Amino acid sequence: MRTSLTMAIDSRIYSEQVLYKCFYWFSQDYTVDISIGEGSFYNVLIQPNKENTVVDWDTLAEKVKQQLIDFKLRDIVSNETKTIRELIVAKAFACYDIDTTPQTNVSDPVGFIPAII
Amino acid sequence: MTRKFLHVENFGANIPYYLLPFRFHRINETKEVIVNEVDDFLVVPVGTAAQIIERKINRREDATLYGDLLANFFISEQPIPELIDVLATRYRTKKSFLDHFTSLHIFVISLRCEHTCHYCQVSRVTADKDKFDMGREHINAGIEMMMRSPNPHVTMEFQGGEALLAFDNIVYAVERTKQEAVLRNKKVNYVICTNLAPLTEEILAYCKENAILISTSLDGPEFIHNKNRHKPHSNSYQLAVDGVMKCRQELGEENVSALLTTTNLSLQHPEEIVDEYVNRGFRNIFLRPISPYGFATKNAGKNKYQTTAFLEFYKKALNTIISYNLNGYYIREDYASIILKKMLTPFPVGYVDLQSPAGIINSVIVFNYDGKIYASDEARMLAEMNDFTFLLGDLSVNTYEEIFYGEKSMELAEVFTNESLPGCSDCAFQSYCGADPVFNYTTQGDTWGHRPTSSFCQRNMEIMRHLIELMDSDKKIEKVFRSWITGKTDAIKN
Repeated sequence: MRTSLTMAIDSRIYSEQVLYKCFYWFSQDYTVDISIGEGSFYNVLIQPNKENTVVDWDTLAEKVKQQLIDFKLRDIVSNETKTIRELIVAKAFACYDIDTTPQTNVSDPVGFIPAII
Repeated sequence: MTRKFLHVENFGANIPYYLLPFRFHRINETKEVIVNEVDDFLVVPVGTAAQIIERKINRREDATLYGDLLANFFISEQPIPELIDVLATRYRTKKSFLDHFTSLHIFVISLRCEHTCHYCQVSRVTADKDKFDMGREHINAGIEMMMRSPNPHVTMEFQGGEALLAFDNIVYAVERTKQEAVLRNKKVNYVICTNLAPLTEEILAYCKENAILISTSLDGPEFIHNKNRHKPHSNSYQLAVDGVMKCRQELGEENVSALLTTTNLSLQHPEEIVDEYVNRGFRNIFLRPISPYGFATKNAGKNKYQTTAFLEFYKKALNTIISYNLNGYYIREDYASIILKKMLTPFPVGYVDLQSPAGIINSVIVFNYDGKIYASDEARMLAEMNDFTFLLGDLSVNTYEEIFYGEKSMELAEVFTNESLPGCSDCAFQSYCGADPVFNYTTQGDTWGHRPTSSFCQRNMEIMRHLIELMDSDKKIEKVFRSWITGKTDAIKN
């Protein structure tokens, strides 16, 4: 009976951070060892926590692939929006007067000008 | 007046857009939910998050989705959105529960109790009033500390044991607090948590005079309640039900609430429990799982049921509650309502178990009968098991600053925001959920916790997923849910 699954994951596609975030969620049922393999690849060894567990390895491999993609997508959003997130939080907790008129290039076609009310 | 429009190129299909912070989670085989930084969510077909991130949403061909994403702050057409101040204000509003700091001050006024509930979270004692009732000097010090809270509205909650066994202490504490509140310009709400068995006309009259709220326990129909909440030589259920009726008559329906504690026996009777609450005229029910503290953990056979069993129970009970609402009887499930308010309104909810930063210290503090100060009610229960990890100090020894800004509080601050916890930081439900270091420590041995094996995580993620799926599947259910937040029942009938 097969007792483990080894995957070679290309570090040019999936960063170390994405790998750890992804496999963290498999740690309920599996022990996961991540090591540096040949070339640009990480070696990932996955073994069930409990002995004699029957594992559908193909399904598990599919699930890992799906989760890797999901966590890579989350990583992209996180990296691309890091500055804007920090800006939102900084503005939210900064001591400033919010009653000033918002500066915008949006026009006022129906003549509703909040500033003069 | 000049009418100005943006240049025609602004209305083209190929304008690049910028991502704003959001997270996503699959809710079933065909749908996923995307949630932005200020808790707005959209349910979309699986794969949509990937398309958004890969810039495959076309302004013209996917006009409706594109418009929704733009209007709901998932994407922006400028690197910094014009309405960033609106986003910042929304974010600040979501965290506004922090503005005034600690509100709930729990006084464990006595450890004595005449019930012998098998799941009791505190070790009850029946005798020795002097040893197990809160001393006057500790009551005075607790009131002084409560008055130091920056919060202009504080709640003073009396717990036990059975709080009413020390009613003289309650009267003393309320009278002293009333005087102090006038001097410090504070508004104080009073709550007594009681099984109602020791209730008398005199107690009721005092509660009415001082607008004291009553919080009691009703575990369901008689056979469940009496099995869970055993009172030697008495019918606990009948005492509770009669007490609720008396309180309603004297204090008004809105000033009496009942809490349900779920046990292994309860798990087999979700419909009967909801029916009991409806038959007793309640308009709300709080489907709480049993907490892993105090006596609850010692009685493993009865209480250590799997989270999956609780979730099954919860969904069945919720279905029954929804059916009652659809058939014209308004009754709200409180746990769902807390989460739904976070999902569907811009406002935070003052529920200490689902907050980030956590409810401990920031929203609640516990003064035990012996003067010890704990970070939360659960921390006090842990201390009853001789684990003093969350002991912050002593009313007779420590100052306000030493308690609220001391070393222990600073240590806890490291682990009480879910934005920085492993597993939570990327979770789509992060802003609907919370951090609970006391629960993590009790169930997993460390305050950080391990999300893949956490029953807190398993329970909350599934309930949140389920609520979103229900709203998406049936607009009538969404109307029911909205009525739980607004209290307006007309929406259900239309």
